[in-house]
Amino acid sequence: MSNDKSSPKFLQHHFHDVNQQYETAKLGMWAFILTEVLTFGGLFVAYVVFRSWYPEMFVGANLLLDVNKGLLNTIVLITSSLTMALAIWAIQKKNKKLSLIMLVATFIFAFIFLVIKYLEYSHKFEVGQLPGEYYSYMGPEIAHINNPHIFFSIYFIMTGLHGLHVAIGMGLIAWLIYSTAKGNLNSDYYTPMEMVGIFWHLVDLIWIYLFPLFYLI
Amino acid sequence: MGDNQKQNYLTHPKGLMSWLLTLDHKRIGLMYLVSGVIFFLIGGLIALGMRLELAAPGNDFISNETYNNMYTLHGAIMIFLFIIPAIPGALGNILLPLMLGAKDVAFPRLNLASFYLYSLGAVFAVYTIISGGVDTGWTFYTPYSTQSTSNVIPMTIGVFIIGFSSILTGLNFIATVHKMRIPGLTWYKLPLFVWALYGTSLVQITATPVIAITMVLLMLERFLGIGIFDPALGGDPVLYQHFFWFYSHPAVYIMILPAFGIISEIIPVHSRKKIWGYKFIAYSTLSIAFIGFLVWGHHMFTSGQSVFSQIVFSFITYFVGIPTGVKIFSWILTMYKGQVSFTPPMLYALSFLFLFTIGGLTGIFLGAVALDIHLHDSYFVVAHFHYVMQGGTIVAFLGGLHHWWPKSFGKMYNHTIANICAVGVFLGFNGTFFPQFLLGLRGMPRRYATYDSQFVELHSYSSFWSGILGLSIFFAFINLVWSLRKSNTDDPGTNPWGAMTLEWTHTTSPPHPHNFEKDPILEHGPYDYDKVIVEPTYKK
Amino acid sequence: MSEHHITPLRTYLIIAGILFFLTGLTVFVAKFDFGSFNIIVAMAVATFKATLVALFFMHLLWDDKKNLTLFVMSLMFLGIFITITLLDTGFRGGINPEITKPINERAAFYESLPLTDTHGNPVDSHDDQHHDEGKDHY
Repeated sequence: MSNDKSSPKFLQHHFHDVNQQYETAKLGMWAFILTEVLTFGGLFVAYVVFRSWYPEMFVGANLLLDVNKGLLNTIVLITSSLTMALAIWAIQKKNKKLSLIMLVATFIFAFIFLVIKYLEYSHKFEVGQLPGEYYSYMGPEIAHINNPHIFFSIYFIMTGLHGLHVAIGMGLIAWLIYSTAKGNLNSDYYTPMEMVGIFWHLVDLIWIYLFPLFYLI
Repeated sequence: MGDNQKQNYLTHPKGLMSWLLTLDHKRIGLMYLVSGVIFFLIGGLIALGMRLELAAPGNDFISNETYNNMYTLHGAIMIFLFIIPAIPGALGNILLPLMLGAKDVAFPRLNLASFYLYSLGAVFAVYTIISGGVDTGWTFYTPYSTQSTSNVIPMTIGVFIIGFSSILTGLNFIATVHKMRIPGLTWYKLPLFVWALYGTSLVQITATPVIAITMVLLMLERFLGIGIFDPALGGDPVLYQHFFWFYSHPAVYIMILPAFGIISEIIPVHSRKKIWGYKFIAYSTLSIAFIGFLVWGHHMFTSGQSVFSQIVFSFITYFVGIPTGVKIFSWILTMYKGQVSFTPPMLYALSFLFLFTIGGLTGIFLGAVALDIHLHDSYFVVAHFHYVMQGGTIVAFLGGLHHWWPKSFGKMYNHTIANICAVGVFLGFNGTFFPQFLLGLRGMPRRYATYDSQFVELHSYSSFWSGILGLSIFFAFINLVWSLRKSNTDDPGTNPWGAMTLEWTHTTSPPHPHNFEKDPILEHGPYDYDKVIVEPTYKK
Repeated sequence: MSEHHITPLRTYLIIAGILFFLTGLTVFVAKFDFGSFNIIVAMAVATFKATLVALFFMHLLWDDKKNLTLFVMSLMFLGIFITITLLDTGFRGGINPEITKPINERAAFYESLPLTDTHGNPVDSHDDQHHDEGKDHY
């Protein structure tokens, strides 16, 4: 069966045809997305529970977050989602050059996201808005609030885990750039690009929730 | 027949690297089997040590601190390194593609990665053992776990990593069941073991991420004092328990659903009768998988959660027993008017029916809030979960090993010794754990190294029979391994039990490296004993 | 793979445009106080944006429905987790009112933390206008 000379190189031996392989990969990827939703979900539970107990902590402490940076990050991520989708569109249309440009653009936007995050984090480190027992900021906005360290703990864990996923995404996109440039990914076989695309859109999706939850309300 | 002389997955390809880098699901399954059994035996030895200490009151040779380490390690090793991974990882990996007519699982490289993640997690667990242990109980409740000086972090890292192994296995199986079946193999023609693995996999991918994030939060609480679980920092220790049990209750269904699947395979084959209530069993698997996510608070009845949630959890807990009851009745009805042969797999299956029923029913006792207030953290709970986990899962696992051993290795073991060990397991198990129900009702708390003199008699019975249980399990494994010797010429053939699922009817024993010479064509259903005659290839 | 559905370029651009618009909308709306509806409004907008990303960018609208089922299932179980946990955390003190509030309203380490200004520098609680010039104070 796998000796058939007409089956493409990328067809693995235990699959009958490329379509079965492609559909199976997609199904597996969505099962993985399910696990990611539940991993972040645990943190959302912690957010919801503590918000229900200490609403004033969340409303007060989020005044300390820079809405402009958060908004910029949201725009950056949505744009990167667009460029990621366009990278796939381009490769489907046999336009390798455009696909590479879009992938590089996505990579750059991801990097910008992390830079903005770094600026935010370093400011917080400076003024002492740190998670847990390292917390020391007692500025006028929140001096009257009990336990602001919990807000910042949840903030750092959630945005930190999200940022880690952005970084992992950057690594995956870099790999895609390499594979596409080498010609391993093309209009016949672009499954890895779609898989990374789904992952990247999930990263965007999670930030769509994190932004209002921490910065706006 | 000479099946053993042809190429099979054990002999081909050759060399250590061909095993370490294998993508063959059967080899990966075998590696899970060996590792799992090793950890089972380690966990079992720890238990026997505990039972030895408990044979008499007072701290005879184990201090309280050491005892705390022992029950923690026993629990963590048994649950995370054996019961959760073993049936899906070992039997599931070997059998799932065979039962579907597929050449491999959907993602073979991911499968190997799962095994190596399991091994890496196991390394952390072993490190924890040899570097002083951990004394929080396998449940790692805060705030003790955030403050204990024992090795909480390596153990939680180990659990975290093994969790990913479990997730990837589940993900692989879901994709395999959906996408890798041969034409004509519709859902209602699947072996029930496949339904069981499918239900288990859904639970694995949905629940396990939550234990992963819980372990991360626990580690961060230890390192940074984030304060969400520690009351001194404004947090809530009960919240930790919600996080922990949201996974750990569905985890018990990860442990038992594959065992149900094994029983669903053994009983029709060894009764030579069509399974009764195929759809009942299939749908009850999915019901259990779903309802299992709604009941976690029944582990927390004395924790201080709101009374309102106690009522909700208790109410829903009663529902989760119903689909299980449906299965028990279906299996009994399958045997009715069948030609039951008392082979080792069948003896284990019969043991399962008895032991799991007791375990399941005592779970219903514990589901009543008022009763649980008295019984929580007592030996009643210990007896209950050992009846379901050991009397249930492990007995089913042993049955499955005995059932599929001739297929996996092309060798038959000694039935007489196997039967004696099966009876020994049954008697030893009941002798060990039934007294523990009585101990619990009379007030003996769990996780105590010593006790009042009023409990001596029951504890001494329990310890004595634990020795019988341990010896029986040990010799059952020896008997199985002994069958692998070169001089064993007892050839079981391709279908020693006369079964009807694809792994029996269309593969050699042991199977070919690529499973099938050519794609199998489905000729009949998995349990069509009423329509087709399939002769067993082994006559004792 | 020519039989795969290829999303038109226009669709991607329109959806991205809607997402940008909604982002602006959510920031604008956050300036108004709707009381307890703040969260609902914000989450509604976020959910609408997320739906667009899932259906169009992640291709779920045209995919095999199993993929959509898996995604919806994940949200459903997350919902179960949140809801049932809230049945506990939101209803504490049903019988003993004293356990409604957490044990420690304020963590102990705050006692030793000085007040700070907005740059994180400690300020004297009695004296935050002047630089210290040898005054005797506590």
